Amino acid sequence: MPNVPCPVNESITHLRESIDSGRLAHPRRRQIAEEILDLLSDIALGRAGGDHLPAVERLVQELDSENPDEMTRRVVHFLRDTLRENHEVFLSHIETHNCSSGACLRLAPAPCQMTCPAGLDIPTYVTLIGMGRDAEAVDVIRRDCPFPWVCGLVCTRPCEYMCVRGRIDTPISIKSLKGFAAERAMSEGTYRNPPKEPDNGRKVGIIGAGPGGMSAAYYLALKGYEVHVFEKEAVAGGMLLLGIPRYRLPREIIDREVAMLKSLGVRFHFKTMFGEDVDLNTLRTLAFEAFFVAIGAHKSFQLRIPGEENCPQVIEAIDFLRRVALGDRTIPGETAVIVGGGNVAIDAARTCLRLGCRRVTLAYRRTRNEMPADHEEVEQAEEEGVRLLYLTIPVEVEQADGRLQGVRCLRAELVQVKDQNRLYPRPVEGSEFLLEADVVISAIGQRVDMGSLESMKGLAWTRRDTIQTQAATTETALEGVFAAGDAVTGPATVIEAIGGGKRAAEAIHRYLSGIPQPKMPPVPVRRGRIDYLEVPASTKMTLKRPEMPLLNIDRRRTTFQQVELGYTENMAREEARRCLRCDVCLRCGRCVEVCRDKMGVDALQMGYFDFDHPVRTDFRVTEERCVACGACAANCPTGAMKMEDRDGERVLSLCGTVLNRQKLLACEDCGAVLGPACYLDYVRRRTQKVAQVTLSRRLCDACARKTTARYGSEAAPAQKRPSEEKKP
Amino acid sequence: MTFRRGQKVEVYQRSRDESWEPYMNEFVGLHGIITDPDSVINDPDALVEVSLEGRGTHRFPQDCLRPLADVSGPAGA
Repeated sequence: MPNVPCPVNESITHLRESIDSGRLAHPRRRQIAEEILDLLSDIALGRAGGDHLPAVERLVQELDSENPDEMTRRVVHFLRDTLRENHEVFLSHIETHNCSSGACLRLAPAPCQMTCPAGLDIPTYVTLIGMGRDAEAVDVIRRDCPFPWVCGLVCTRPCEYMCVRGRIDTPISIKSLKGFAAERAMSEGTYRNPPKEPDNGRKVGIIGAGPGGMSAAYYLALKGYEVHVFEKEAVAGGMLLLGIPRYRLPREIIDREVAMLKSLGVRFHFKTMFGEDVDLNTLRTLAFEAFFVAIGAHKSFQLRIPGEENCPQVIEAIDFLRRVALGDRTIPGETAVIVGGGNVAIDAARTCLRLGCRRVTLAYRRTRNEMPADHEEVEQAEEEGVRLLYLTIPVEVEQADGRLQGVRCLRAELVQVKDQNRLYPRPVEGSEFLLEADVVISAIGQRVDMGSLESMKGLAWTRRDTIQTQAATTETALEGVFAAGDAVTGPATVIEAIGGGKRAAEAIHRYLSGIPQPKMPPVPVRRGRIDYLEVPASTKMTLKRPEMPLLNIDRRRTTFQQVELGYTENMAREEARRCLRCDVCLRCGRCVEVCRDKMGVDALQMGYFDFDHPVRTDFRVTEERCVACGACAANCPTGAMKMEDRDGERVLSLCGTVLNRQKLLACEDCGAVLGPACYLDYVRRRTQKVAQVTLSRRLCDACARKTTARYGSEAAPAQKRPSEEKKP
Repeated sequence: MTFRRGQKVEVYQRSRDESWEPYMNEFVGLHGIITDPDSVINDPDALVEVSLEGRGTHRFPQDCLRPLADVSGPAGA
């Protein structure tokens, strides 16, 4: 975990040191300090409620009024300053049950949850899926994301890049598990909305029915606001629907999840162009009190090469995908050339194939290494027959007799530019060639359509032509107007837009309730601390991330049927069992250190603990070397490492992964549990040079004492051996 | 530097870019993983999405980032 101070943890340390030092000598003042310490400990352990912080402040005040001596005054000043400067952090600990610094050990969030822009409690829902409790898993997901099914298909899954399991072999397939649970819950009729607060009669306007806008609408509706969404298209979904092809995200899935919003009371106004049909002033007169702008980035960059302007066969990828999404199945041309290397370019190329184009070529100016598109999408495109042409720079659109002939291109090489540490494509002289095409699709990026917001006078823009906001609160320069999603970040990801919408809903609620806005982005909320899935170490190591079953290649080339068919039930349950439960194990390494350095056993091979330099991990090694002494469990600060005696065995487990399981032996005289043989052997080895108590018999301490008592008190309990006595 | 998805990076300095906000000062020195590079045209001016170890996911200007090791993310992600 990063070494970042936490004010809650620092307050506890400071107060404990003051009490332990004995300098808070006055009984009443000491008692108050101890009460404060108890309350702060509750906050650090995730047990605090809404009354805790006011109670702490009251007790600090009381301490101050008790004729304080110099030491007490110092404690009071420290606590008062810390509480004032970090009020938000204390509150966040209470509300989220997470400590972003990781210093409050019980509240350290899992890396996957911290990584998710929407803050989904991934370890909890993955474990629930592993237990077969899909509906509950979807309930957990929908506390933080209104679109589990959509995200289960198209999320860029930043969580998987941070997944600690990836340091061992491959990350948990978090995205696909989410998709599995959502589909199952929807199919079984257990997909439901969370409880909604009573209507508060206040109106909020949302501009744009994309993932960001609908996410904000969902959270505001849950808080009891009357939410109206204004959308220029005739359908909801935004880029989900218009930018992502149906073979990746079927429209029915969007429609089903949007229907859940409608059932919450969110009102959609389709074919309503902001700036034309409605504007800010009109809506304010209709009692709208706050606005959320989530218009996305739907305008394409142009190629800016000669011939592009006057050629109708040069089209923009976003427009092309939008037309197809709305039902146009016209083949754009026999031979299609797509210019670009991002996900939109890949989507356009694969869509062309499905419409019947015979040759589809994607021209990208750098190499595959620099290509920003998702590598799985690139691979699938290649499988389907898209030709990828790297290091290719389009320089001119060629026409003859008013018909497109193709794109004249130059080969490129990547070169380092002086004083810059990135490689640039440099055209190779004399390498010109014609890439024949009936249609050229430009997919080199999108930008925000600023024109649609012209009526919002006073809105500030960045030099990147995106809306200027405060990242933590999504506030814009206009009072009562908030913004997030692609309109703020530029073309980004679905999950970022969802996270932005969620952040905006919270900020709008604070704005309308007169609550001060946060200075930092929110810390994700822990939704539960559920039991582990028990998995033997060998199974934990040998389970592999399942391959996603795909539609057969012929059907992929010819239809818009969903390509990824989803995991089978067995795949999903098994995959969930690979999770390491990093919401409980902090990877602090104390267990490894005590086993290796104090006990001299070195039975824990946990190479994945280190973020920067992970080395080999093998849970199976433990059973070979472990002596079941329990030192690791005794030193674990979170209870992740556990040792327990059950059913005649001593079981050592880390977050449910059974590392060692040994048969328990009993005292030969009285039958009391002694421990497993390996532990008794370990103790005997360590003590044999100084004592020999019971010879070869296995006896408990009490029975051993009885046995040795007959030799006299000077020799009991341990009888020294003659060889030991001779040593100096 | 052209950043790639899955690449380990360090926030090694504050940025002078307008998108750098005061709360980001706390992130200098932290390590993370690129989760969404400039997804379109490898623009050195674009904001890239970085997931910082234990501190969440943020969009940063590229001038505050440097790669830690020339390795891609784990297979399968």
